[in-house]
Amino acid sequence: MRAPDESTIKAGQTLLSVEGVSLSFGGVRAITDVSFDILKGEIRAIIGPNGAGKTSMLNVINGFYHPQEGEITFKGIKRKKMRPHDAATGGIARTFQNVALFKGMTTLDNIMAGRTLRMKKNIFWQLLRFGPAEREEIEHRHKVEEIIDFLEIQHIRRVPVGRLPYGLQKRVELGRALAMEPELLLLDEPMAGMNLEEKEDMCRYVIDVNNHYGTTIALIEHDMGVVMDLANRVVVLDYGQKIADGTPDEVKANQAVIDAYLGVAH
Amino acid sequence: MFYREAGQFKTSYRADMTVFPITQDRIGIIVILLIAFIVIPLTSSNFMLHAVMIPFLIFSLATIGLNILTGYTGLLSLGTGAFMGVGAYACYKLSTLFPGVHILVWVVASGFVSAAVGIVFGLPSLRIKGFYLAVATLAAQFFLQWCFIRIPWLVNYNVSNAIEVPRRTLFGVHITGPEATPQARYWVVLTIVVVMTWLASNLVRGRIGRMWMAVRDMDIAAELMGIRLLNTKLLAFAVSSFYCGVAGAMLVFLYYGSAEATAFSINQSFAVLSMVIVGGLGSLLGSFMGAALIFTLPILLPQLMAGLGLPIQSATAEHITFMIVGALIIFFLIVEPHGLARLWQIAKQKLRVWPYPY
Repeated sequence: MRAPDESTIKAGQTLLSVEGVSLSFGGVRAITDVSFDILKGEIRAIIGPNGAGKTSMLNVINGFYHPQEGEITFKGIKRKKMRPHDAATGGIARTFQNVALFKGMTTLDNIMAGRTLRMKKNIFWQLLRFGPAEREEIEHRHKVEEIIDFLEIQHIRRVPVGRLPYGLQKRVELGRALAMEPELLLLDEPMAGMNLEEKEDMCRYVIDVNNHYGTTIALIEHDMGVVMDLANRVVVLDYGQKIADGTPDEVKANQAVIDAYLGVAH
Repeated sequence: MFYREAGQFKTSYRADMTVFPITQDRIGIIVILLIAFIVIPLTSSNFMLHAVMIPFLIFSLATIGLNILTGYTGLLSLGTGAFMGVGAYACYKLSTLFPGVHILVWVVASGFVSAAVGIVFGLPSLRIKGFYLAVATLAAQFFLQWCFIRIPWLVNYNVSNAIEVPRRTLFGVHITGPEATPQARYWVVLTIVVVMTWLASNLVRGRIGRMWMAVRDMDIAAELMGIRLLNTKLLAFAVSSFYCGVAGAMLVFLYYGSAEATAFSINQSFAVLSMVIVGGLGSLLGSFMGAALIFTLPILLPQLMAGLGLPIQSATAEHITFMIVGALIIFFLIVEPHGLARLWQIAKQKLRVWPYPY
């Protein structure tokens, strides 16, 4: 995996920032004038009630949605919108709320697919396979096996992921994202639908990824216990607007956040 | 009992990534190749070679072609017959324009023409999927077939409006034209099919195969991982059409001997598609199985019935074949979408632990 200090951006500096981003689908405003930043090396949580625009925000960051207004600055480059390919080559990887694995492929192939961008040998070498293409394949296989060991999924290496239980699928999806050796990892509800034990495992992996590889993480999560324990800073969205931003303790004490979650008496 | 992998340890990723990691499978494939290359041509009758083995191999190649597109990349195509036709007509044009160049060079080169045409008709695949794409490729089928009939330049202004295969030799042996023996043609076809199958297996196991399957299984995730959808889909169209084109060229030059546009009609597309479905979507082995089953059925059925004391007309056999193939497709679509290849896999798995299933 990538050495932590390979990037030009040092820990603590801004890795990504969004400024005044607004996104609407026809007449529906999903995000209204949201700005926040993600610092290199931190775990940043995005929380909010259902429909607050959290997933839309991630989709904006990795270029799946194009916002009508606002700017996205990633690694010092300012742009109106991301493109999926630029985001991927720039080092943004993500997992999905509803697992989006390649169901017909094995765990190994799924994670190997995560390394597609880093494999360079063209179709003619691929056709021959002997020599360069095979060497490249083996070289990347070493990296992938490292990730498989890290996530403790050795036993399901050869199993088509469609047959795996939900918790393991989530883990394979994390593996696939890690295989891209991202600088910024976007996790969309990595612990949704898990039992306590699986949640604890997943938390451990998230912290390990952050500590060990120095990967910056932005995560969406509904379990407040998890968020408060994992995140360095939290941004809170409600109805597409940012209502709070700060450390977990600050956010917890914020009256707007409490109102958003508990409702306000009228 | 003999099919055991106990004691076979893999100590390198290279050994782990081979097509046949189990020794028995490796021996098996060598035996099959020996039989195919030596035993069959020396012992089989001319009828067996000409009417069964040669077209079976050619259709297997076309099925691999469509399988790359439909099975691996998940793009449904009904234009296979037309892409085969492009290969055949391109091969005819090239070989008559440049008679000095060897015919086998043109058989392979015609695949590139077919690939180029495939890319053009694959362009809509970025925007449309599933049945709508199938209809778009149907347009390719009808348009290209119209070209084959209406553009006399393609057949060098023949009065018969058909491709007439010129006589060509390899090492002094006739391989095309009326003088070519079934043995000679069989060896040529078999060699091309084996080499191209090997290349296809390399492709689908590597980075490009994973990109295709990623696009098939979850195109959004693939896109966000940096896989360019259009390039990947067009590459699948190109490679698929290449295989179909070579198969079409071989069909005319090494099997039919002469052909009209009707040889590449929509029926051919459906035949190859049913081979893919019955054989198994996304399996090279399944391509051979599907082609074997669907192609040999109409040939073997009358003989089987005659053997049972119920001789039937060839027209009746054809009708029964249609019914059986139709029933088989429905059966496989419902029960086992991965086709004969998956049944074979299950059988192998059972064999591994037989006779003690625990």
